[in-house]
Amino acid sequence: MDSKIKELLERYWNCETTLEEEHELRSYFNTETVPDELKDTAALFRYFESQKKIELKKVVVHPTMKTRSADNGKMVKMFFTSAKIAAGVLVLVAATYLVRQEVRKSYPEEVVDTYSDPQLAFEETKKALMMISKTFGKAKQEAGKISVFNEAEQIIQKGKTKNDLEETDI
Amino acid sequence: MDLKAFENRVLPSKNKLFRFAFRLLGNTEEAEDVVQDVLIKVWNGRASMDQINNWEAWCMRLTKNLSLDRIRAQHRKATDSMDVGFEVKQEGLSPHDKAEISESMQQVNQLIASLPEKQRQVIHLRDVEGYSYNEIGEILEIDLNQVKVSLFRARSAVREKLLKINAYGL
Repeated sequence: MDSKIKELLERYWNCETTLEEEHELRSYFNTETVPDELKDTAALFRYFESQKKIELKKVVVHPTMKTRSADNGKMVKMFFTSAKIAAGVLVLVAATYLVRQEVRKSYPEEVVDTYSDPQLAFEETKKALMMISKTFGKAKQEAGKISVFNEAEQIIQKGKTKNDLEETDI
Repeated sequence: MDLKAFENRVLPSKNKLFRFAFRLLGNTEEAEDVVQDVLIKVWNGRASMDQINNWEAWCMRLTKNLSLDRIRAQHRKATDSMDVGFEVKQEGLSPHDKAEISESMQQVNQLIASLPEKQRQVIHLRDVEGYSYNEIGEILEIDLNQVKVSLFRARSAVREKLLKINAYGL
């Protein structure tokens, strides 16, 4: 038996064994007491055999059930995405509202119409317009003084042309 | 494919899928998640997968791809799974023998875990799950020669390391 195993083992290391022969080696090392020199090799084959016994312990959720929960995950994802968008819109709306309020506050109060009686408003307007026209009148009067310069310039011009004529006569 | 076919053809291989995912990820929860994802994917895409004849290999491939995706996404290396090595069924052994066996199992476990990814995959599929070379090629999407080369390298590395452990009496 031993020599046969040794021969098999040698072929095993050279990858010349068939699946059946490898199975034979595994079962040999897992059942019989092995000589000391093969102890480490036995450990290898025992390891292989022990690995084969490892099983999936977690109960596999049936795919048909899992598909539904996968859809659920999509729904949750979609909900979060839309919630993000909604939050963004909300911030924008709030910001616009606040900015508008700020802008309104910064307008001067007087601009707002305060007169409710048309007669009173007419009087006030008249007063305001009178004030403007009075100021304009005053300005016109003052501007009248500028014509003095014009007159002076005309006289000078006239004098100049007279001199020129006299010169040509000579 | 209806529910019955799914339960008869796909669900029974869930332990194999789990072991393979665990081998790649080294984490029970992640491996469970991967198996769950695989089953959901198979169930959701069942209509277009009727032409597949080897369901198990196809599921294993999906497991491999999803596991690798996870590893890549998290930039994380598979860690040693110490606790798994302890779960060895050994009856009628003295505590001392038990301790020794667990220890050697642990060593083997570390040894396998330290192999490069491809070699780890191949040796797991061959020596734990007992797949043929063709099936391994189908699962890992590599050709037959690559399977053989990877397995040879994996076994050589294991042998060498076992000899080292033996020589130093570690």
